Amino acid sequence: MKYITTVDGKEYLIEVVDEKHIRVGDRLLAVDFESVNGQPVFSVILDGKSYESFISESDEGWQVLMRGKQYQITVEDEREKRLRAAAGGGVAEGGEFNLKAPMPGLVVAIPVSEGQEIKKGQVLIILESMKMQNELKSPKDGIAERIRVKAGESVEQKQALLSVK
Amino acid sequence: MFKKVLIANRGEIAVRIIRACRELGLETVAVFSEVDRNALHVRYADEAYLLGPAPSRESYLRADKILDIAKKSGADAIHPGYGFLAEREDFAAKCADLGIAFIGPKPSSIAAMGDKGKARATVIKAGVPVVPGTEDVGNMTNEDLLKIAPTIGFPLLIKATAGGGGKGMREVKSIGEMPALLESARREAESAFGDGNVYLEKLVEGARHIEFQILADSHGNVIHLGERECSIQRRHQKLLEEAPSPFMDEELREKMGSVAVKSAQAVDYVNAGTIEFLVDKDKNFYFLEMNTRLQVEHPITEMITGVDIVAEQIRIARGRQLSYTQDQIKFNGHAIECRVNAEDPFNNFIPSTGRIAHSLLPTGPGVRVDTGVYPGFEITPYYDPMIAKLIVWGETRAQAILRMRRALEEYRIVGVRTNIPFHQTLMDSHRFMGGQFDTRFVEERFSMDTENASDPNVEIAAILATLVAHQQTERSARIFRPNERDTSNWKWVGRWERMHR
Repeated sequence: MKYITTVDGKEYLIEVVDEKHIRVGDRLLAVDFESVNGQPVFSVILDGKSYESFISESDEGWQVLMRGKQYQITVEDEREKRLRAAAGGGVAEGGEFNLKAPMPGLVVAIPVSEGQEIKKGQVLIILESMKMQNELKSPKDGIAERIRVKAGESVEQKQALLSVK
Repeated sequence: MFKKVLIANRGEIAVRIIRACRELGLETVAVFSEVDRNALHVRYADEAYLLGPAPSRESYLRADKILDIAKKSGADAIHPGYGFLAEREDFAAKCADLGIAFIGPKPSSIAAMGDKGKARATVIKAGVPVVPGTEDVGNMTNEDLLKIAPTIGFPLLIKATAGGGGKGMREVKSIGEMPALLESARREAESAFGDGNVYLEKLVEGARHIEFQILADSHGNVIHLGERECSIQRRHQKLLEEAPSPFMDEELREKMGSVAVKSAQAVDYVNAGTIEFLVDKDKNFYFLEMNTRLQVEHPITEMITGVDIVAEQIRIARGRQLSYTQDQIKFNGHAIECRVNAEDPFNNFIPSTGRIAHSLLPTGPGVRVDTGVYPGFEITPYYDPMIAKLIVWGETRAQAILRMRRALEEYRIVGVRTNIPFHQTLMDSHRFMGGQFDTRFVEERFSMDTENASDPNVEIAAILATLVAHQQTERSARIFRPNERDTSNWKWVGRWERMHR
């Protein structure tokens, strides 16, 4: 299977030849790949060189954390890449901002009300977590809509809080 | 002489105190909230009692319940740790009333230093320099504060009178933004300390945050254990401390050390305490505040002096003399502490919660880890995000940095995001290596985004991601491989849907 893997705009052509070999560009490398203890920690020995990293999947692809650095990586096989190219880039901007709780916590205050005009940078919700109050701000001008939480309410991570249209 | 110590705290510091008690042959009593049933301090202590629901207000801040448990269990001493009830004079006073030894200062010293306004007034009288600000006791209205602000000059800081740890603190650049910042500072202070009073202080620019550890016994002996450099902060929260400070020289240490001792004497201080100073680039120093308790970062002082500060606290509370005179305190080598917080350094340091799935602690020469978590433990949003302190010692600062780099790389925590990568990036920063930083360094001149162009590991990361993605594709292909079932997949899906209607 051939993959096109992109890190910071740079593409790598990586082919998984068999269980023990991969081809990067035109170099054939011996690979020994293991997940450590069933955890999202992976150990790989590439031509005798040993590396370990923490890898998780995010909305934008894969996050690889290695030696104190985090790499945002997308991996596509050839078919996916062709499909995406055919679809053409640039999805239309929805123009609506949906504020989600970046962490679990307690809603301390909602200094805005529905229908209110919002300026970019204005505080929408104050969320307390781990003893710190965090001011969640609007990234754009707009109108506050669909406030789904109340002050004093506990929220889960990624829970929808309100929208700015 | 007391024999059984109740530890009115949780997490790594409760574990630290239990360890000291164990070594001294003292029995220990732990208290815990509903979510901390499986916490390490509960498992390590000789006895453990439930306090109440998770929120601090209903558990670790319930002085009445804690005192009841002390009576019930026969504990004749209480160590408050840091945070929670550590700097509450009423709690220390109640302990005294009940004949329980409070392992900390006298209520009157906590009162004198705990209220920052009073503390300033007290040390000014003793001839200690302070940062210009609203020196009188809190309780000023917003109107008064707005009136007085221009006479102090901008930028300035709004600080919580009852505060600590940067909570209720706001930086003000101009009078225009001040009303809103006053509101949010008061709100945060109210929720953190139950006291919304604030005061103003001039912001010393290019300042370093350097503090002195002092020890005082009830026989009138006061000594200092040198300084700790605490300038690496974010949102006024310390992230890394080191001792000695790369900025310090022998003359300045002597001068500041004697001022620290003088400040402690000004309030008749007994037990361990810390005097925090701001030091500007010309080595002028100002008294900032006194923490009348054990500090989070006390281990780095222990590493370079060999003094067990918690054991010394217990010795003092037992009415004995200090084990050391000032002349006997010698500094050996260099120590660094990194605070490991459950937060995502790649995502604006947002707190991260979850179950620790896997944890591998760094060990080896010169490495110490103080932590209260272990694999299987759940990090909840109720308490401080600090889950561990990684401390290293080296003969020189350079060796300590290299050792810290090595230890950070060894440290594996899976299940929550941690700021370990932040510390790793910091260890590689030339300014940090050169000792050139002030309290604004992290916020203004530091970035997690490093150049990938010359990074040889980019390709390795790409290969790893590809292998994981490939493994996932293979696995899902195996699950949905056609014709493995005796019926067609379409038929199977139809049946499955009917079943779930």
